[in-house]
Amino acid sequence: MAEASALEFGSVTKTYVSSHLGRVTRSRGVEELSLGVAEGESFGLLGLNGSGKTTAFKLALGLLHPTRGEVRVLGRPPADAAALAQIGFLPELPYFYPYLTPRESLRFYGRLSGLGGAELSDRVERSLELVGLRRDGDRRMRDFSKGMIQRAGLAQAVLHDPRLIILDEPVSGLDPLAVKDFRDLLGGLCAAGKTLVLSSHSISEVEKLCVRVGVLKAGRLVRLIPQSEWRAAAGGLEGLFVETVR
Amino acid sequence: MRRVLALAANAWRENLRSRFFLLTLAFAGIFLYLSFILGALAVEQQARVLLDFGLAFIELMGLAGAIYGATTMVLRELETKTIYLILSRPVGRGEYLLGRFLGLMLSVLVSMALMAAVHLIMLRLKGWSGADAYAMAWLGGFLKVLVTASLTLFLAVFSSSALTAGVIACALWSLGHFLPELRFLVSHGAPRAAVAPLTFLSWVVPDLQLLNFRDRLQTVPGSGPEAGAAVWLGYCALYCAVWLALAWGLLRRKEL
Repeated sequence: MAEASALEFGSVTKTYVSSHLGRVTRSRGVEELSLGVAEGESFGLLGLNGSGKTTAFKLALGLLHPTRGEVRVLGRPPADAAALAQIGFLPELPYFYPYLTPRESLRFYGRLSGLGGAELSDRVERSLELVGLRRDGDRRMRDFSKGMIQRAGLAQAVLHDPRLIILDEPVSGLDPLAVKDFRDLLGGLCAAGKTLVLSSHSISEVEKLCVRVGVLKAGRLVRLIPQSEWRAAAGGLEGLFVETVR
Repeated sequence: MRRVLALAANAWRENLRSRFFLLTLAFAGIFLYLSFILGALAVEQQARVLLDFGLAFIELMGLAGAIYGATTMVLRELETKTIYLILSRPVGRGEYLLGRFLGLMLSVLVSMALMAAVHLIMLRLKGWSGADAYAMAWLGGFLKVLVTASLTLFLAVFSSSALTAGVIACALWSLGHFLPELRFLVSHGAPRAAVAPLTFLSWVVPDLQLLNFRDRLQTVPGSGPEAGAAVWLGYCALYCAVWLALAWGLLRRKEL
């Protein structure tokens, strides 16, 4: 596998197996997924619900183990501590401890990422500033709206200045102003050379942020679309996506 | 180790801010007060009754908090998905379990210590003295809670059900007080078919009699624990390490 890849899936299959009262049920997560995302690239993963986007992200983070195939993250196996230290992850609907404030949460996650002392304090304040939560930094998160939670989620994802940022539905449920803020922020990260891998149902956001898109259908990567292709297409990325998944 | 300490500090903060922790202390206050009244009914044995009831209650409250915490801490994190933001960082699953467990036990230790402080004040008011013996009895109680909590944590990860894990833990905690009898049964007169399951149980169940300093101090006043400190401390460390390692083995394979 190429060393310059930030994220690499080599013929990865993930099958979920569950059993209840002796009855074993198998369901497909992803199937024969082969994909490489280069360092510094901003890549979008599109697909309908249940197409395997979140499964792919969890495999990259070592939260799931592949049934077959190999995943490499920044040249290392997933769940490798050195790789995880370089990854920022924003899950779909990030879940925080409701009894903590954003400032306390970020300090906690920063420590887990190996930060400490003045550097930690500095990064926490900068991240809060970046996502516009500095004024609400000492409010308990149980009182936060969805948009504020999402902002805190992004703050924890970029807190430790990671090389690879994985975002699962980063703009879902956000109001138009927050979507614009998020887009500007993510655009800034791309410009800073970070590798961005994101999934979204908002095709227009993916279109604006990514230079290449992969379309997942029933767990399989059915199409890779470079920016030049959707720019040249009459219906844009949306047209190509609909044509692919229909 | 820094990550383990960060996780422990967060678990401590979580317990401190939870209603359950405050409720534990409130219940403890009420019950200690009740044992104070009960002691007054015992006329000449007031201090003795207050001592027995208080120590037993402190241990039971510690146990309730530890079992509740151990059964819910990992399962709730899996359910609420707060675990994603932890394990997507360079945190090993063993570090995660150890940190959460240490934080829980610190909370239990502090709540038991607070209850003991109130209890000791009440005993002093009744003219009772014997702080050294009390400290040993209290320590034994805490160690019993500690080993039971490690077993409970494993049961929670294994069964994925807080209720099941809690019920089994309570049953094993009760059995732990009869381990010498269980061992005797295995070697003397248990039906052949029962020997294998009883032998298995005698290995799984914590030896709470070894840590039951309270009973020994009460039956042989002024005496210390039967076994040396190295034996019971070593036993606790080993017992906890085995169950935490098994819980780690399960969590490592668990898909999130």
